[in-house]
Amino acid sequence: MKRFIFAFIAAFIFIFLWGWFYNGVLLKDVFAEAQSLFRPREEIMRLFHWIIISQAGLALAFVMIYASGFAGGGIAAGVRLGIMVEIFAVGARCAIYATQPFPAKLLVLISIGGFIEMIVTGVIVGAIYKPAVARTS
Amino acid sequence: MKPFGLDGTQQEPQPKEIMNWKKFFIAFVAAFGFLFLFGFLWYAMLMHGAHQEVPALFRTESEFNEHFLWLVLGHIVMAFFLTLLCVRFVPAGGASPCALLGLFVALVYLGPHLITFAVQPITTKILWGWIVGSLIQFIVACSIIGTIYKTSSPVQGRF
Repeated sequence: MKRFIFAFIAAFIFIFLWGWFYNGVLLKDVFAEAQSLFRPREEIMRLFHWIIISQAGLALAFVMIYASGFAGGGIAAGVRLGIMVEIFAVGARCAIYATQPFPAKLLVLISIGGFIEMIVTGVIVGAIYKPAVARTS
Repeated sequence: MKPFGLDGTQQEPQPKEIMNWKKFFIAFVAAFGFLFLFGFLWYAMLMHGAHQEVPALFRTESEFNEHFLWLVLGHIVMAFFLTLLCVRFVPAGGASPCALLGLFVALVYLGPHLITFAVQPITTKILWGWIVGSLIQFIVACSIIGTIYKTSSPVQGRF
């Protein structure tokens, strides 16, 4: 349980920092090109707690899936899970692209960032969370 | 009973399992059919009015028709990787354990919905519609996959 909590906290910190750096700094200008689809900055800041809650939820769900069905495989299993989760998300983004007028460039860049995010999250979780059997053997 | 070892004690190195590709393919097709049909009924029919409250955020009908193939492609990708995830997560299959995975997957995608709410001017009605929709969609889709991809042998391996 201790390692589960450590893995969750580490994954959450990484997802938060990566999300801020990639979406908030690196892609700032790309997001600005589609400004009409987004809330004004002040409104986003007012709703910022939802972003934090969602990232915590993502980290928790990721660790739960890993601990329930992939633990024991270590970092490689974490990376595989991260890739599967992100490819699934790319599918969802294709559906979003069909229904919302997002620039394709933005969705491609978000997907690239998503792959990095999920692979590194997989590495972190795989490195920290180890089931009791694996730890004692 | 802890189904999969969330207590961290039930995970043991297991021999690799040979995937049953025939069942995998049938499960994938069924998952795609369900995801697409449910998506049409829930998001396009039931939530049509809610989406119309913020028309600037969505494509017009003619634009949507032009991009329809992306919708199909997206659902194929989602169905394929949901099936793969189920098979990796619960190699023995079964509706209940796969439904639990569906719940976890829905929780993963709860995040993007909340982020969308924080950064895009969607209404709370849309947010709740998307959350409830994805919970039903992923839990049922995973149950279908688990029911179809059910091996006769006990759990043999996970990764």
